[in-house]
Amino acid sequence: MATNQELIEQWWKEEAPLLPLLHAFHDRDGFISEEAIRAVADGLKIPVAEVFGTVTFYHHFARKAPGQAAPRVCTGPACKYLGAPELLKSLEGATPMACAGRCDDGVPVLQGHEVRVGRTADSLEKTPSPLPPPNPGNVEECVFAHIREPERNTMEGYRGYEALEKARGMSRANLLALITDSHLAGRGGAGFPTGKKWEMVEQAEGEPKSIVCNADEGEPGCFKDRAILDYDPHAVIEGMAIAAHATGATKGFIYLRYEYPETFQIVERAMAEAEELLGDGFKLYLRRGGGAYICGEEGSLLNSLEGKHPFPRNRPPFPVTHGYNDLPTVVNNVETLASVAPIVMKGAEWYRGLGLGEHAGTKLVSVSGDIQRPGNFEAPFGLPLLTLLNEWCGGAPEGRSIQAVTMAGVSGGFLAGDDLDVTLDEPSIRAKGAFLGAAGIMVFDDTRDMVEVAHCAMEFFAEESCGKCFPCRIGTQRLTERLNGAAGPADETKWREEVHDIGRTMMATSACGLGVAAPNITESLVKYFPEQVAASLKNGR
Amino acid sequence: MIAEVKPTATATLTLDGVEVSFTEGETIYEVAERAGREVPTLCYDARLEAFGGCRLCVVEVDGMRAPVASCTTPATAGMVVKTTTDAIEKHRRTLLELVASENRENEVDELRGHASQELKSLLDRYEVRGGRFAGRQSGTSNSTDDNPFILRDYDLCISCYRCVRVCAEQEGDHAITMMNRGFEKQITTEFNGILKDSACTFCGQCVQTCPTGALGDRKAMRAESLPGEVEKTRTVCPYCGVGCSVDLLTKEDRLVGVQPAMDGPANEGALCIKGQFAFDFVQHEDRLKMPLVRDEDGELHETDWETALDRAADGFKKAAGEHGRHAVYGVASGRAPHEAAYTMQKFIRAGFGTHQIDNCSRA
Repeated sequence: MATNQELIEQWWKEEAPLLPLLHAFHDRDGFISEEAIRAVADGLKIPVAEVFGTVTFYHHFARKAPGQAAPRVCTGPACKYLGAPELLKSLEGATPMACAGRCDDGVPVLQGHEVRVGRTADSLEKTPSPLPPPNPGNVEECVFAHIREPERNTMEGYRGYEALEKARGMSRANLLALITDSHLAGRGGAGFPTGKKWEMVEQAEGEPKSIVCNADEGEPGCFKDRAILDYDPHAVIEGMAIAAHATGATKGFIYLRYEYPETFQIVERAMAEAEELLGDGFKLYLRRGGGAYICGEEGSLLNSLEGKHPFPRNRPPFPVTHGYNDLPTVVNNVETLASVAPIVMKGAEWYRGLGLGEHAGTKLVSVSGDIQRPGNFEAPFGLPLLTLLNEWCGGAPEGRSIQAVTMAGVSGGFLAGDDLDVTLDEPSIRAKGAFLGAAGIMVFDDTRDMVEVAHCAMEFFAEESCGKCFPCRIGTQRLTERLNGAAGPADETKWREEVHDIGRTMMATSACGLGVAAPNITESLVKYFPEQVAASLKNGR
Repeated sequence: MIAEVKPTATATLTLDGVEVSFTEGETIYEVAERAGREVPTLCYDARLEAFGGCRLCVVEVDGMRAPVASCTTPATAGMVVKTTTDAIEKHRRTLLELVASENRENEVDELRGHASQELKSLLDRYEVRGGRFAGRQSGTSNSTDDNPFILRDYDLCISCYRCVRVCAEQEGDHAITMMNRGFEKQITTEFNGILKDSACTFCGQCVQTCPTGALGDRKAMRAESLPGEVEKTRTVCPYCGVGCSVDLLTKEDRLVGVQPAMDGPANEGALCIKGQFAFDFVQHEDRLKMPLVRDEDGELHETDWETALDRAADGFKKAAGEHGRHAVYGVASGRAPHEAAYTMQKFIRAGFGTHQIDNCSRA
């Protein structure tokens, strides 16, 4: 067993050393002891109090036995209806965890470095994550075009970095123009034009520049990045290397969520295979999060990488000028980066043409919940939502109908009734008061209690709120209490007034997207399901 | 190399319909404050890096989708800013109602600390009477920390992190930290222990910047029940030579506490444990008020200065006479100013002819 000193020797000189060093202690002991925190603080010259505070921020860093050895059961909104609460009770010493990204074949149970999946304690099995099914609409794909080929996640199956070679033969200006011309935009949900972002980093002063791949997929109902990294990790690595060439970046980081330990191994292996092709000019690092949804927010992610308390950063300045170590940094989502190599090979016009009508390109959509065929699908922008739900995914389970779907995981709130008749593109969905975001869609059939679903979603936001800004820290708590009747007025008018006032102020004043988006849940609940709200208040929920 | 001095570019923005100039690097909040706007805030402390946590200072900026926190947003030329629209004022009131709902109480004695009335004043200004947004309260008071200086009444904590930031940015101690996240956020020390076991130096700056009195000055709080109003008298700390400005707090004729002067040129709100908490000697019964000399009976007796100084001079002369000039050793007080220290070394060097002179601050 490695000594404290050996672990510190191994990591202290590395890039972004805090997280991997904490993981090293966590893996060695099964938890992070007081002694470990003192050793890390001393080794990295960070105040003890700061390391302690940071450790307590992450959900999965245990501070006492059995720690890592105890099972953690996903109780996300999809798994909740797949038997998660009963499973949680039946496993000794188990604790709940937020959505762990296996909504398409839940319920995942994380124990040590292993995810097992099943609906009951007896049926838990370690199985590979589901491969995206063949495209049900038979439409041309970009990101998933080759993902179903055998051994695609090895260099042999990927067959080398042809696009990188081509990109390296291009001038930076031409490469940037190509990406801009493709209309590729941030697929993590924010939709910022990728070419523009790269150009800003290329032009920003300060070196070394970095490319950060945001693989901290934590939104409930979103599991697309898992599929890409499990079955086509080289597409992401190649995309990062092309981004590095376009911007002059010499360092790259993949920040992967804690809950994907098998993915970590797959990506680690792929990185080793790619080392030679990347060359000396671009060094890639893989970092594992500690379990915090907010670290998917780019400011928090950068703080987390740097070993700071993972609060979001104030903007401006933006990461394009002040990113990792306050130097110019591209932060791109997994899906965005995976789209780059095909665009380089096939051209901007080809990519734009994949969308329907005036829309450019494609979007990966994760569908889960009460639906016949859940999974990841690559849809052209502009595809009607009902086509996706009914034709691609087979509609609601036998004998039931779709009552509501969530948008952007849970951040976009609910769509229901006539508003389900909408096309999958940001302007159309925003016109309904929701947003597409990272395109996690959870389906709830007509047997579900929507107030209960809303409570589950809001509880997630409250637990994941970082605590930096007042409206989100207090607002998510108060809305959660109002959805399960723990506190708040019983009178419907007063209840609606309080919930609306809190929501409106959260939307207008929260410091980051979490607090801005969370009230979409309550606003859309009241809009589509006023009778269910009234009934739940009447029942003294 | 001497930096080239460039004339400061004067840019302007429109603040509530009035054109005001600003210098590059200023935030909207700083510009607004300079222009006399009373933009509310709870997480702001001019000495610290802007944090953007309380969101009370949000303002409307033309062309922005949502209000922005004025404390973290740099002023830019041509910006059109509105600090007090109806919508903004409603958000501020809602935010204050939310904050008020998480505390056990929102009114505390002013003796708790310099900034302790900030929340209360804003609740009054926005006529927040409480009652809305009822629910669980945040923060757990630490009842085991019985240090004599700092009360840790986290039931009143609103997670503005001013204490964490002042400890790190101003004092450099990094004794205070933030445990957990969201509504479970708890201000504490390493391993959630007591201050004595942490890196805390008991400088008291966390207490003085706390806007709710969650951190309280235990020494001053002893006088909460004494009659009379609290009066503040500006003076200079009597300890070392730094010259920190302080406000002495008195009730009637009694010294009850010390607060650092936020505008003190030498300290800008900082003090050390002695300047902040060690004032009991002023009214201590053991304090010498008259010179004492030891008589032949071996006891100390009160006398006048003339007699006492003569007795001291005789003693020095006798020692030097019998054992030589190096039998004398002078130690000047660190509490005395430069001029006194100079006089002291002159007295020892020129008067006795020895270099045996030192200052207690060196110890």
